[in-house]
Amino acid sequence: MEFLSDTVVLSRLQFALTAIFHMLFPVLTTGMAIYLIVVEGLWLKTRNKNYYYHARFWSKLYVLNFGIGVASGLPMEFEFGTNWTPFSQAVGDFFGSVLGFEASMAFALEAGFLGIMLFGWERVPPIMHYLATIMVAIGANLSIFWILSANSWLQTPAGGEFINGHFVVSDYFQAIFNPFMLNSVLHMFFATLETSLFVIGGISAWYILNQRQSEFFALSFKIVLAIAIAVTPLQLYIGHLSGEQVYHYQPTKLAAMEAQWETIPAGESPSWSAIAFPNDKAEKNDWEISIPGLLSYILEIKPQLSESVLGLKEYAPEDRPHQIGLVYYAFRIMIAIGFFLAGLMGITVLQWLRGKLSLENIAQQRWLLRTWLFSIPLGYIAVESGWIVRCVGRQPWTVYGEIRTVDAASQLPASDVLASLTTFAVVYSILFFFALYFAIRIIRAGANLDLPVPGENISPELDTNKAQHIPNSRPAEAKQ
Amino acid sequence: MESLQYFLPQVWFAILGLFLFLYVMLDGFDLGVGILSITASSEERRGILMLSLGNVWDANETWLVLMGGALFGAFPLAYGTILQALYIPVMVMIFGLIFRAVAFEFREHARTKLYWNIAFGGGSFLAALGQGFALGAVLQGIAVDSVGNFIGGTWDWLTWRSLLVALTLIQGYVLIGSTYLILKTEGDLQTTHYGTAKIASITTFIGAVYLTITTPIFSESARDRLFDPPLVYIFALIPLLGALLIFLLLRSLYLNQEKRPFFWTLLLFLLSFIGLGLVVFPYIIPSEITIYEAAASPSSLVFMIVFIGFLIPIMLAYNIYNYIVFRGKIIPSTAENKR
Repeated sequence: MEFLSDTVVLSRLQFALTAIFHMLFPVLTTGMAIYLIVVEGLWLKTRNKNYYYHARFWSKLYVLNFGIGVASGLPMEFEFGTNWTPFSQAVGDFFGSVLGFEASMAFALEAGFLGIMLFGWERVPPIMHYLATIMVAIGANLSIFWILSANSWLQTPAGGEFINGHFVVSDYFQAIFNPFMLNSVLHMFFATLETSLFVIGGISAWYILNQRQSEFFALSFKIVLAIAIAVTPLQLYIGHLSGEQVYHYQPTKLAAMEAQWETIPAGESPSWSAIAFPNDKAEKNDWEISIPGLLSYILEIKPQLSESVLGLKEYAPEDRPHQIGLVYYAFRIMIAIGFFLAGLMGITVLQWLRGKLSLENIAQQRWLLRTWLFSIPLGYIAVESGWIVRCVGRQPWTVYGEIRTVDAASQLPASDVLASLTTFAVVYSILFFFALYFAIRIIRAGANLDLPVPGENISPELDTNKAQHIPNSRPAEAKQ
Repeated sequence: MESLQYFLPQVWFAILGLFLFLYVMLDGFDLGVGILSITASSEERRGILMLSLGNVWDANETWLVLMGGALFGAFPLAYGTILQALYIPVMVMIFGLIFRAVAFEFREHARTKLYWNIAFGGGSFLAALGQGFALGAVLQGIAVDSVGNFIGGTWDWLTWRSLLVALTLIQGYVLIGSTYLILKTEGDLQTTHYGTAKIASITTFIGAVYLTITTPIFSESARDRLFDPPLVYIFALIPLLGALLIFLLLRSLYLNQEKRPFFWTLLLFLLSFIGLGLVVFPYIIPSEITIYEAAASPSSLVFMIVFIGFLIPIMLAYNIYNYIVFRGKIIPSTAENKR
């Protein structure tokens, strides 16, 4: 248990824990925000009140996730200063200002309009409400832009140079739009969307399986399926582009992702290792199962490599990552899920085209619906795995090639960090449990299809006009 | 160019001051209501208290995130050193804010409200306590070496003086929270908070008087600057205005006015802020590191002004719009408030 007295290790663990936990919540809210735009837009266009009820029902899960997202995002904003002081001071000029942009442009927008989106249905005109929903979605997705810009800069620092260990920006545009940035933003954008689609689809499948409000939830099932047709293959392609960038810019990370110890020269068509047991001490894989000739297809979609793939042994032990197994398997889990979800989408669309998803038939697709239900956590697992590949694979660097993680950490007493790490672990476990518990409770309660629809009189004896003018009232919601 | 190196950090000092003021004012009443919820006599009342914040608490917390980001970008040296030095109070604040943030939704869905009541009230208290200690520690000074690295101990922030700052800040939050509730509620609940506001205005006043008197005694640099004209006149004016505002506040409370108590409290907060700003300026880590030493490069500061400066009026506009949409009293008895 030597690491218990190592501040750097503890700070890394704390950052990993807080980041992994935080990520679970914005993943759903950023993606679901787009879904909410779609259903509210459909409601405004068709005036079919089922779309309105969809907006109302899913926003309950939205706000549950949003609250924990805000709560767990807060430590992220301060941890750079508390646990990574030398890093913050060296790169604050750029990295800090990007976090400032995220707060002012993205988070402020999302939080500023969320109140109206949740509680303003009867206080503002429908079009104003729709605008608020759009602003929430823009805010959430702008967060992806800025956070991924900042993180990409850690991977491929650009737009200035380090002078006496202090990063001086010469070109902000280059720094923000650093080489990794565009693909990373798109990859994350589609990741949140895809995860949310399969969460919404999986929950809808549960209702259909249990024959509760089947007709209503068949609607959301088909909406997310329609969006998934475009999203799942695109995500695979963008994922491929991201991998290609790692190949060009971060050879040590690529070698870790592939557990590749020896260099493969250009022109060969090497095998791709599917399962392996990497041994960091012996600098080889103790055993592996590999598929011949596949690696060059994965990296370049070509039969032969056009560049050499550098092996881990090209680098001194202090210049390369050491959790090879973690990076290697996280990468494989991510791509396996990516292909699985795309395949699930394909099969479901096929059944749709064959008319098997019509109202009278859909409940018979039990295995298909069960697969959707089982797929609810997969998007999350893929996202977290992707981040592990991205950030553990970047080691030993915090800023790739520039600042080492050991030099980036604050010299705090290990006991302080151990105390905060333990508290985070305990508190986050409790929050995780209750988030799941309350989410299940919301889902079990089902959608309330008796809510008054704004702008419509539900029944003549109820005077809705009066209700609209009661200040500070929350609109009625499902709960008996 | 020479003057730009002074001007830009000053602008950022002012912007950070604005963010901090907006945060302390807005999340101040937010946390204050949270602390007051500990004393709420019934589950129904506690529900109303939380309802009064439902649509604004996350927007209010934005200003803290924004301040963190702006401090990180504009004064990276101070961001790193201060947060490292204040590791424990900052973590206390963070855990407090986490508990209270999740309590809003969790309490709504829970059958046993008790745990989330504790999370909400206790979290609000912890957050305010952490912030108070952090403020107190910054005001009393942080031990740094010649280049601004923290060299003090992990418990340096814990002194009698910082405890007093923390208690005063908590009182201030309770005060602004009470006046906010006077604004948003009616009947018995409102009467209760006329009472809490009266008590809190006295205790805040006592704390503020003590801090105002002792600041020049403890801080040499503050003394040197504050007792030179023309600052000495302003510095003399602040306690006088403060006493006047407390008088007006108490008067409005005794006259059972609804809007003025909140307004006078806001002015009181603003005045305290100007006072604090005068004591601290031009330091960002008092008596050690000036804003000029801690500032990011001029190009960064300009870039951030263009971006964030442009956004400030927009952010203010939609936040104000949010408050206008949800103006007026909370009426919990209507069916619409029952989820």
